[in-house]
Parts: sequence; structure tokens; C-alpha cells
Amino acid sequence: MDKEQQPQQEQTGSEFEREPVPQSRLLGFKSFIGMYAGEHTAGTELAIGPLFVAAGVSAFDVVVGLIVGNLLAVLSWIFLCAPIATRARLTLYYQLEKICGRKLVTLYDLANGVMFCFLAGAMVTVSATALGVWFDFRMPALNDWFPNSVGWVLAVLACGAMISVVAAYGYQIVSKVANVAAPWMVLVFIAFGLIGLRQFIDATGTEVNNLSDVWTLAKTHIWRGADPHPGRVKFTFWHVAFFAWFCNMAMHIGMSDLSVLRFAKKSWYGVASGTGMFLGHFLAWLAASILYAFQIHQDPGNTSVLPGPLAYQAAGLTGLICVIIAGWTTANPTIYRAGLAFQAIIPKSSRFRVTLVTGAIATVAAMFPALAMRLLDFVALYGLVLMPMGAVVFVDFWVIPKLGLRRSYAELSGRQFNWAAGAAWIVTLAICLTTVFIVGNWILYFVALPGWFIASVIYIVLSRIYQKQVPLSAAQV
Amino acid sequence: MRTTTILMIVSLLALVALFLPSILFLAGCMALTTTKWIMLLATIVWFVTATPWMWKQTG
Repeated sequence: MDKEQQPQQEQTGSEFEREPVPQSRLLGFKSFIGMYAGEHTAGTELAIGPLFVAAGVSAFDVVVGLIVGNLLAVLSWIFLCAPIATRARLTLYYQLEKICGRKLVTLYDLANGVMFCFLAGAMVTVSATALGVWFDFRMPALNDWFPNSVGWVLAVLACGAMISVVAAYGYQIVSKVANVAAPWMVLVFIAFGLIGLRQFIDATGTEVNNLSDVWTLAKTHIWRGADPHPGRVKFTFWHVAFFAWFCNMAMHIGMSDLSVLRFAKKSWYGVASGTGMFLGHFLAWLAASILYAFQIHQDPGNTSVLPGPLAYQAAGLTGLICVIIAGWTTANPTIYRAGLAFQAIIPKSSRFRVTLVTGAIATVAAMFPALAMRLLDFVALYGLVLMPMGAVVFVDFWVIPKLGLRRSYAELSGRQFNWAAGAAWIVTLAICLTTVFIVGNWILYFVALPGWFIASVIYIVLSRIYQKQVPLSAAQV
Repeated sequence: MRTTTILMIVSLLALVALFLPSILFLAGCMALTTTKWIMLLATIVWFVTATPWMWKQTG
């Protein structure tokens, strides 16, 4: 097995699920560079970039906001996730089980599985837009919530069925295809941006002699900082920076990547996430948003975010192949992981059937364009839902022992449900979502930051009470 | 071994051929239609030549 693929496979595979990764199986820095670059250059990047433009972002805000946000994300991997991963060397699920108990982890699995399902749905949506170019059926518009043509439903069904069946048979072959496609895909994404830039230069008659001219073009025609499209939150520097930081919150602050980075020899290997952030979440997002801005420049009435037509317009068949492969190779492991999360809840169920059902749910979700057209909101929500458990893991690992309390208390006490951790998760979520409901949608992008501190404080306070209430026996001590 | 080396070189050249047209298009030295055709050709060459050696690497 190739080392480059190994961390990803271990994440979903069965090795060292309930034991620390041994020294002999640790991986070098290079393995993580390839994995992060591939994982974060996905089909959904082609939908996220355009949504920045739809949110009326300005050139400075999007460029500097992405640099700052992605840097913060990389630092979160380096300083929050990787140090615990390389010390404990356990999967997130096992680490959580030790802290929270089996029953609470089951709840977490359910939430994780549902979120993975919808995320995979968005990826299927992206792939289906490529079929629209070939078969010329009516595709969803920016503000559509429901499927608007039979052709669209059939295209999603075809993509979803194919992806689900392959995922059910095990996604090893797709992961190999993804490996082969990764370098090609990154270059195609960058080419989108370069081609879009030239198209802008030609369409606007701008004379470009130096970088300053490019910046002027970006400010005046690409990311103009105009009003957002109706029903969209206006994006400022802060929105972009926080979105870039928190869109993978489940993985760094939420600690999902403990399962990946437990194979790292050193904790600084978390810096490898920078390849994914600055190739996928910087260059690819900017490139995709250039294509979308050009589409609006040509036809201001065409606000649809459809990666297929966008890519085809820029790079022809290569663009379409890129959209299909990018959507397919990322939806596949996502459905597979969602299936594994659900299977953990019903261990006796067949993985094949569970994955098929999971794929079917993702496919039905993909038919509703609201999922892809509201991807910024969904991704922010995804991170928010899983974030409190990351705070629990962090506090349990670093803070709890310093307060004279015991870490991994569910394991020590033999309890199935650590209500201190459960309350930290649920109460934090309730506070954050209530805040969004009262204050407005715009705060969804920021609320996870205070939420992390709220979850930490709740867990510390309640752990003190819980550990007194559930004392350890002499044998357990 | 020799075949693999040749395939690796050709596939890397395909990546160059994939990316170069977009730079030439940006510089105004190539038409968009030509750019798209060369990118498609480079894509085919990449998948044909990179798959054998990268597939082997991934066990």
C-alpha cells in the first residue's frame, strides 16, 4: 500500500482502531502533503468560489481573508489537532469513546454520518452539473431549493447511483483513481483561473502590463464588493477569513484528523495541511470565483452556480472531466465514511447495505439544489455541529489533568455516557444555534469561536461535578 | 523499470502540456480553442501514462 494513501485509508480502514499506532507504522511528511492536497481540492471548491462572488465580496477581502483564514486553519491543525494526535496516536472515535463512553459516541457517529451524507450530496450535485452540459436539460438557479426539471433529477440519480455502488464495493479503486487524478486536477483548477483572467482582460479591454493592472482588474470587475445577490449574506474580510478557517473545523478544531495525523512522526507535520488550504481553498476557490464572475459579466441575469457549465466554458471537455472526477473522487470516500459512521451505530448491519442506503440518502439530498447553492451555510453548520466534541477532546487531554481531575473518565469509570461531555456538546450547540436564530444568519460564520470556549468551560465545570458524582472504585483508581 | 521511467517522463511532460496552454492563453499567445484541445490531449496522455506507474505505487 502506498504511503501517500495510507493515512486516508487508515482513517476509514480497520487497522489500529482501538490501539495506538505503533512506531513502525508511522509515516513521513511527504505522505501528508499528497493526502491534504488531494482531499481539499474537491468538486465542492467549484461551488464555494462562485458563492463568494454571489456574496458580494471585494478583491482585498477575498484575497487577504483567504490568506489569513487558511493560515489560521493550518495553525489549528498544527497546534490543536496534531499534538494530541502524535501523543495519543488514537482515532477520534476511540479517543472520544474513552472520554465520553460508547453511547455518547454513538450519538456523535449519527451526527457525523448525517453531515457526511449531506456533504456527499453536495458533491453529487457538482458532478451532475457536468451532465447538464452534455444533455442540455434545465439546471437549478442560484435561489432554487427544489429540483426544477426531470433531466436534473435523472442526472443526479445517475451520478448518485454510480457513486453509491462503487462506494459500497469499497472505495479502494476510486482512491487509486483519485491519486492519479490529484496532480492533474490541481493544475486544471489553476488553469481555470488563468483562462478566466484572460477572458476578463479581453472582455473588458483592460490593458495589463504588470501585477498592479491585474489587481485593478480584480477590484473593478471580478470581486467588485457589490451588493450580494438577494437572500445572501454580504461577505466582508471577516466572513471570508472565518469561513476559510472554520470550513474544515470538524477536521482540525473538531479533531476528526486525529485519525489521520496519528500516523505522523512529528506534530509539525500538521503543516502539510497548508497544501490543501493554499491549493484547494485559495487557488481553486479564487479560480472558480473568477469563472463565475466572468459568467455574470457576460450575462448579469445568469447567476446560477453550476460548476459543469463554468468549467466547460473555460477548459472544454477537460473542464467537464475535471468536474466529474473531482465530484466523484471526493463524494465516494465521503459516502463510505458516512456508511462506516452509521454502521458503527448498528454494528451487525452489512457495510454494503448501509453504504448503499447512505448513498441513496446523499443522492436524494443532492436533488435539492439548495444544498449546493447554500453550501457556505451548510459547511459552516457542519463545522459547528462537530466542534464542541473537539473542545472536549482538547480540554480532556491538556486541561483536565492540570485541574486534578482524571482524563478519559468514561473508560476509567466504565460508564457508557459521560453526561459532562454530552452536556458540553448539546448545550453549546443549543446556545450557538439559538444565537444564529436570534441574531441572524451572518453570525453562523463566527459563532463557532465563542462556542469552542463555551464548550470547554462547560466541560471543565461539569467534569468536576461528574467526577465527584461518579467516583472511581479502588480497583479503577 | 525502463518502461516505468519512460512513462513517468511522458506523464510529467503531459502535465506541462496541460498547464502551459493556459499560461500562453493568458499571455495572449494562444487561442482558446487551441488551448482547450491541447489540454484535452494532455489529459488523455496523463491518464494513459500516469495510471500504470501510479497505480502500481498505490499497491
